[in-house]
Parts: sequence; C-alpha cells; structure tokens
Amino acid sequence: MSVVARPVTAGPTGSGAAPGPLLEVDSVSVRFGALMALHQVSLEIRRGEIVAIIGPNGAGKTTLLNVISGFYHAYEGRIRFAGADRTRLKPPDVAALGIARTFQNVALFKGMSVLDNIMTGRLLKMRGNIVTDALWWGPARTQELAHRAAVERIIDFLEIQAVRKTPAGTLPYGLQKRVELARALAAEPQLLLLDEPMAGMNVEEKEDMCRFILDVNGEFGTTMALIEHDMGVVMDISDRVAVLDYGRKIADGTPEQVRKDQAVLDAYLGVAHE
Amino acid sequence: MSEVVHGLLAPFADIGSNPSFFAEVLIGGVAAGLMYSLVALGFVLIFKASGVFNFAQGVMVLFAALTLVGLIERGAPVVVALLLTVAVMVLLAVAIERVVLRPLVNQEYIILFMATIGLNFFLEGFGEMLWGANVKRLDVGIPDTSFKIGSVLVNRLELTAAITAAVIVTVLALFFQKTAIGRALRAVADDHEAALSLGIPLRTIWTVVWSVSGVVAIVAGIMWGAKSGVQFSLSLIALKALPVLILGGFTSVPGAIAGGLIIGVCEKIAEVYWGPLVGGAIENWFAYVLALAFLLFRPQGLFGERIIERV
Repeated sequence: MSVVARPVTAGPTGSGAAPGPLLEVDSVSVRFGALMALHQVSLEIRRGEIVAIIGPNGAGKTTLLNVISGFYHAYEGRIRFAGADRTRLKPPDVAALGIARTFQNVALFKGMSVLDNIMTGRLLKMRGNIVTDALWWGPARTQELAHRAAVERIIDFLEIQAVRKTPAGTLPYGLQKRVELARALAAEPQLLLLDEPMAGMNVEEKEDMCRFILDVNGEFGTTMALIEHDMGVVMDISDRVAVLDYGRKIADGTPEQVRKDQAVLDAYLGVAHE
Repeated sequence: MSEVVHGLLAPFADIGSNPSFFAEVLIGGVAAGLMYSLVALGFVLIFKASGVFNFAQGVMVLFAALTLVGLIERGAPVVVALLLTVAVMVLLAVAIERVVLRPLVNQEYIILFMATIGLNFFLEGFGEMLWGANVKRLDVGIPDTSFKIGSVLVNRLELTAAITAAVIVTVLALFFQKTAIGRALRAVADDHEAALSLGIPLRTIWTVVWSVSGVVAIVAGIMWGAKSGVQFSLSLIALKALPVLILGGFTSVPGAIAGGLIIGVCEKIAEVYWGPLVGGAIENWFAYVLALAFLLFRPQGLFGERIIERV
C-alpha cells in the first residue's frame, strides 16, 4: 500500500531492492471441457498501477478476472500474489489476501441498504469477531462503530451520501456500479479487479467513474486491473494495457504502444485475407 | 338470504357481549400463532441463507423433541439432556452441510429441495430407530393449568411457550438486522458470488444457519411436545408453517412472526365464533384459505421482497 508512485517504464525490473510485481499470472490456461478459455496467458500487475484488460467479446477477459479471484481454477500455470503462490485458492481466501472485485452484472445485495451493502465489505476486517459479536454486545458495538466510520469516509469519497439508506436494488444502474465499487473499497484491498465498471453508463457517468478510479488509485495507492470496452476511457486512465484475443494475450504495453500494435489492430478490425 | 347474513354477523354480537371470553380466545390464538412463527422461522432462516426450501424442518422439530425425551427417559437430568440435544442439532447441521449441501452446491434449487425431502424421510426413520415410535410424554415442569388475570383465564403452559417464542423471535430478528454475522447471512441470501468475493465463507454460514434453525426446532419441539405429546404428528405442524410463510413472505423474519400471529389469531376466532355455523373444524383449513387469498393479492407476502423480473 505504501507504493503510490506509478511505474511507467515497461519490462520487469529483475532482482534488486524494488518489490516484485503484486500479481503474477504465469502461463495460466483455463479450459471448459474442450474449450480453451485462456491459453497460457501471462500478466504482471505492478504495485500502484492501473492495468486495463481489453479484447473482443469472448476473448477471455472475465475468465482471467475469475481465475485471479478464485472463481475458476487454472488448468495449468501459476498465480503468485505478493510473491507467494496462490494458484489454488478459493474466492473467500483470495478476498482475505486483499483482492477485491466487482462484477460485470452488478452483484449488489439488492434488498439491503447501500450502507449495509458497503458494511459487508468490512466483514473480513471483523474476522474473529464475526461469531462473538452476537454474544458480547459492548466491544462488538465499538468495533461496529469504527467500521461504520470507515464506511462513511468511503461514502463521502464516492459521493453517495444521499442514497445511504436506500435499498441498493432500487438505485439507477450507474449508482449501483458506484455502490459496488464502494463495497469493494471497504475491504481496503491491495488489488482491485473491476469487470466493466463503466458498462451501460452515459458519458457523464463514465466521466465520474473515471475520476473515482483515478482518485482511488491516487489517494489510497490501490493497484487496479479493469476490463473496459470504451477505448477512450482505457487510453485515458490506464498505465498499461493488456490485450486478449481468443484466450491468448496478443499485446501488453503502454496505451501508445498498444494503439499502434499490428496484432491488436488485426484482432479488432479483422485481417484482410489476400 | 337475510338469515345467512344474520348468521354470519351474529358472532360479532357474541364477541361484543363477552369481552373477557374474547380475550381468552385472543390469547389462545396468539400463543398458537407464536408457535407457528417459531416453526416458520426455521424455514425462513434456511431459505434466506441458501435459497433452499427445507422440507425437513418439521421432522427436525420431531427429531429434536424425540432426542430430548429419549435422553430424559434414559435418566439424563433435563439441563444435560437439553445441552446434549443442542449438540446433536449442531452436529446434524454440520453433517447436513458436509453430506448434502456441499456436494450439491450450484445445483438447481429444485434439486436441493428434493434433497431435503430425502433428508425428511431419513430423519424420520433415524429418529424412530434411535428412540422408538411410540408416543412419549414430555414434562418440562410447567403444569398445564390455568390461572386468572382479572376475569381472563390464562393457561400457564401456553403463556410460557408464548413468552419463550417471543424472546427467541426478538433475539433472532436483532441478530439478523444488527450484527455483522446477520449482515453476512443476509448477504449470502442475496448473492452467493458477491458474498464469496467479499470473503464470506459459504460453508460456515450454512452450518451456522442450519444450527440455528436446529435450535429453533428444539424450542418448537419442546413447546408442541409438552402440549400434545412427542409423536409423529409433530412433524405435520410444519405444514401449518406453510400458510404462515405465504402470509409473511419466505424471506422475512418479522414476516414469519406477523404471519404466525395472524394465522393463530384468525383461525382461533374463526373456529370459536364461526365454527358452529358449519359444524366446526374450521381451524384445520382456515389458514390455507387465508394463504390462498394472499397468494391472489400479494404473492410476495406481507414483508417479502417484491420480485420484479425484467421481461
């Protein structure tokens, strides 16, 4: 969390005092029966950077996020987080490591208030207390209030004060996405995975969301990987862009490099057959 | 025609003419209603956390009561027997999570429902194998006698049962609304994947929920067992919980309470005042008619979350 500076130069730093990448995806393949959803994909995410994962529909972007967050498991390859091997972990264990995520189709607890939704993001911070809190009212209450204060800061930060008590399911889509981001932030993650945080938003909402993502990155130093289709957004906010196509990584570099990459252009625009 | 109307309206005059008798009927209704609530609560807890409609809830009540009586019959002091029964119900919850729920995770809800039907028959047979099939008397040390408050006759056993049920129901409602684990339970009920991604361990939650509804089953088992003996028909009171759930909504703890009270009170009043008009036994079917009416006008129940589907 201490590293806020954004590394700009590409290429691994090798050995030395500098801490290694936060997340290393090493030749990971995921298959569903005969279908190879990911084929030996490698990706490094360094501390403090914003990495965009792009690619045509069905390229394996969400699969990649799912394998990082433990919902799918790698058929081959390794995943390391903060230097330790994390290939076989399940979602709750991944969350305990400090990896939070949002979902492509907003996955809020619809019947619960915005405040309660975000409070669930604090559950891991309450570990050890989760069973006893029903029995010892006093300390549990103090702790609850401390977490409540942390949540209120996030609510202020993301400017959703007005809807704190509203059931999440009744909010407009753009706001729901923002609440989902707030819930993920409540866990104070080291790595935040955002699956299409701007899907279905209008231009204004997109601008807001971009600002929040940059602010979170700047303020808390949170490392982020996000899937996004809007190229304008991707080029604006990301330090690095990884491009997937048919389950393979075909490019990885700064937005400028990727923009000029022939393989990327071919994947998006198609290749002329001669 | 006017005679029919007169017949239907006459009971209102009876209610007016003897208010203390009406109060007794009301109290009887509330007492029965709270016990329905208790059984319905067991359903709601499990349904909220795992989306499973636990067909075996009624048998769990029977099984808990059988275990308690069995232990007492074999000479265990009541307190020890009670603690052992709690332990048995928690063990049962762990076993159910391990053997039934875990292998079936991510299956269709109907498959999980079928699994609980299986569980129902297993527990029924297992309970009889362990403790025998004959009717047993459960003596909790509270006499089934009445005393007077003013001019109103109150049954001691019913009063105790009602107070116990009220306490448990309040504690559970607070537990769900105010504590972190209650919030985790609601989160799991709402969206499994999101809950997992926040680090909420599903298996622990399921075990907790089944344990809690096991303990609720013990309380229900004691109350009903003390009243009408511990026998197979205990598992049938689960059927009475169904209209309660339809009234209150399958996902609402306050709904289960309100639903239970409404059904308890309405069926008692209907039985006592309107029963004679049709030859009695209204109590047995009145709840279902009420539930049917609710299904027509408010299918999500009084407090249930409204289901809106995008078309």
